[in-house]
Amino acid sequence: MRTFAFFSFLSALLFVGCATTDKTFYWGDYSETLYDFKKSPDEKTLKAHSDQLLLIISEAPNKNKPVPPGVYAEYGYILLKQGKETEGMGYLDKEMGLYPESIVFIKRIKSEYARGKK
Amino acid sequence: MKVFHWLIVGAFAVALAGCTQYVTKEEFAPKMYSDHPTTILVLPPINKSTAADAKEYYATTVAEPLTNSGYYVFPMEVVYDILQQEGLFDTETMMNVPVQKFKEFFGADAVLYVTIEQWDTKYFLTAGSVTVKAACELKSTSTGDVLWFYDDAVEVNTSGESGGATGLAGLLVKAVTTAIKTATQSYIPLARDASAKMFLAMPSGKYNKQYNVDQKAKIEKKKAQTKDQQAEKKK
Repeated sequence: MRTFAFFSFLSALLFVGCATTDKTFYWGDYSETLYDFKKSPDEKTLKAHSDQLLLIISEAPNKNKPVPPGVYAEYGYILLKQGKETEGMGYLDKEMGLYPESIVFIKRIKSEYARGKK
Repeated sequence: MKVFHWLIVGAFAVALAGCTQYVTKEEFAPKMYSDHPTTILVLPPINKSTAADAKEYYATTVAEPLTNSGYYVFPMEVVYDILQQEGLFDTETMMNVPVQKFKEFFGADAVLYVTIEQWDTKYFLTAGSVTVKAACELKSTSTGDVLWFYDDAVEVNTSGESGGATGLAGLLVKAVTTAIKTATQSYIPLARDASAKMFLAMPSGKYNKQYNVDQKAKIEKKKAQTKDQQAEKKK
């Protein structure tokens, strides 16, 4: 019996090494929809990916997690490309609000957009 | 019966011996703790493997484990789109841009350069495995120094102890998820786990609870030896 307990303890030790901690961010199926879009970029795969971004944005608070870095920016960028300027800019500002370190990047997107409009 | 016991003891000894050679994260990547990068820009990987899709798999799965390690990772699709508008179309051209430019242009503290050397996938019904060998280099955009690197192979599979799932229930859920997804998509969790495994050897960034407290965390020494060998080569 004691041997059994000893080995259980050893096994537990081994498993502790494999335990994973709770992840910082919730990413949903981001990789899957982005992969599909990259493999065959069309309206359908783009819609699936932008829907997924929106889902991550709405799900994050339910999971008590912040929206992951870049998600607001990527969604806002897609909206800008679709001509939805006010909405798109709003999401870019949200990225900057949540992640102030993204300021140079967000300003770059905005200036590229302004340049493209001319 | 005694023999059986000793066999088990032997098995545990072997299992534990595999983990004996360690180095701390601080010894391995001291500049990560002095440079403190927050924002990381991942350039599209160079694919030297025979798998045509390796590049897409890597590029679409790297953000999740890297942000979970605590870093602000720029959305790669947006970054590549902007770089293309600037006339940079292929990976090689992007790789030749002086690293400091990425600070100026995007506000990146560090740039991750990745070369995929091997990408072998095996897939059978609900189980699959991927062996990825990649050379990753994280360079500071302020000093140009290599802050962290990884040059080794990792193997992940749906039935083993790969990063994502916790416990038996996690594995079951994972296998079911794998099964219901399309054949191409089923490699994605494996690709993600492969990156996650590599980033275990990276000091954590500010969005991870381990930020600035994982100096003494231990990683396999094998990787540190690779570093010494690389340093030797560069001399």
